[in-house]
Amino acid sequence: MIINLRVWLKIPDAEAATVKNTLLRRMGYQGIVRDVKRERLLSIEAEDVSDTDSLIKQLTRELVNENKENFAVSVDSLELSNGYVPVKVSLWIEDGEAISIRDRLVKRLGLRMIRSVQRANIWKLYITGDDPEAVARKIAEELLVNPNKDRYEISELPRP
Amino acid sequence: MRIAVIQFPGTNCEHETLVAVKECGMEGEIFRWNRPEQELCEFDGYVIPGGFSYQDRVRAGVIASKEPVMATLREEAANGKPIIGICNGFQILVESGILPFGDGVRLALAQNVMIRGGEIVRRGYYCAWTMLRHDAEEKRCSGSYILRRGEILSIPIAHAEGNLVSADKRVIERLIDDGQVVFRYCSERGEIINEFPVNVNGSTENIAGICNPEGNVLGMMPHPERAFFAWQLPWKHPRVQGYGPGRIIFESMRRYIEERRL
Repeated sequence: MIINLRVWLKIPDAEAATVKNTLLRRMGYQGIVRDVKRERLLSIEAEDVSDTDSLIKQLTRELVNENKENFAVSVDSLELSNGYVPVKVSLWIEDGEAISIRDRLVKRLGLRMIRSVQRANIWKLYITGDDPEAVARKIAEELLVNPNKDRYEISELPRP
Repeated sequence: MRIAVIQFPGTNCEHETLVAVKECGMEGEIFRWNRPEQELCEFDGYVIPGGFSYQDRVRAGVIASKEPVMATLREEAANGKPIIGICNGFQILVESGILPFGDGVRLALAQNVMIRGGEIVRRGYYCAWTMLRHDAEEKRCSGSYILRRGEILSIPIAHAEGNLVSADKRVIERLIDDGQVVFRYCSERGEIINEFPVNVNGSTENIAGICNPEGNVLGMMPHPERAFFAWQLPWKHPRVQGYGPGRIIFESMRRYIEERRL
């Protein structure tokens, strides 16, 4: 199974604000981009266990700081809401931080059922216009991704 | 001879870089990113110093690369004026596409991965003195103008994202074939060993610095301004007089501008 842990800040997200500001003030997206939000996504592949809820609690306790972060968990699917285009950005070269997280979970916390961890950012682009997905792709290629190390995909658009 | 030391929000090496510029007999000033960009044209050369522009948000250098001053710098680069990007400055030049070929984002400075014996032994931020071999021909590049090929310098690094990679192997081949690889991490004897600790960050072909095809733009991860004075070198007595190996980068820029004027 794959446990998808989405984490976002309760406090203002300066990184998302910077992206929005750059798009509007420097890259000509005034009137096109209404807002930008960001979530961290950890996709944790694990062997099936009898008590999935307990495993999820352990993972969130380790990987989320609830003093400043909110989170949502879904198993196997990625449950996104509508109203934005979700651009998922991850490294295609080796992701050392993801490997470190897996090692921490397996070696330090003894969660031997964890097989792998993948890490991504989900950029939630609130776009006006006829073809928001095309705009999102352009933004990804112009700003969010360096193709020499990153890849992106438009996550399946939520049904309105 | 006036040099603009470009300051973005989060730049943190501008003052020592300016000291280095002035110590080499050039005039200089810190040029804030939000000044009218046309004023940049009045300068003879540019240094984009190290630091963490925009807190490395999204990825190192990319937000600064969208600022209007970078469009002006691109034009000034096309006019042949020298630009040296140090550490974050190198990342900004790569993200703006000015390096390596001026035609788009052809490289990335990815997260450091230190490899020894086929195993990853370390990742992430690393701060150390490194040995650099000058691999370009003399006068090939504005920032190493007076260095001979094969000369070795000791200059420190301090970064988390200096691992030069490209999705297209031909980019690296072209850099090597066209003599655009200016500095490579090497041993004390100048050997290129693709293993940590010689290759400090996993960079492809041990590349530490490159120039554009014309040679007037140099990007390098090591910090020459931190090896400018002899007293900055850890193996020297703190009261020793004189200069360190980093001086030659700024001195090169001055000589490049002088000769270009003739």
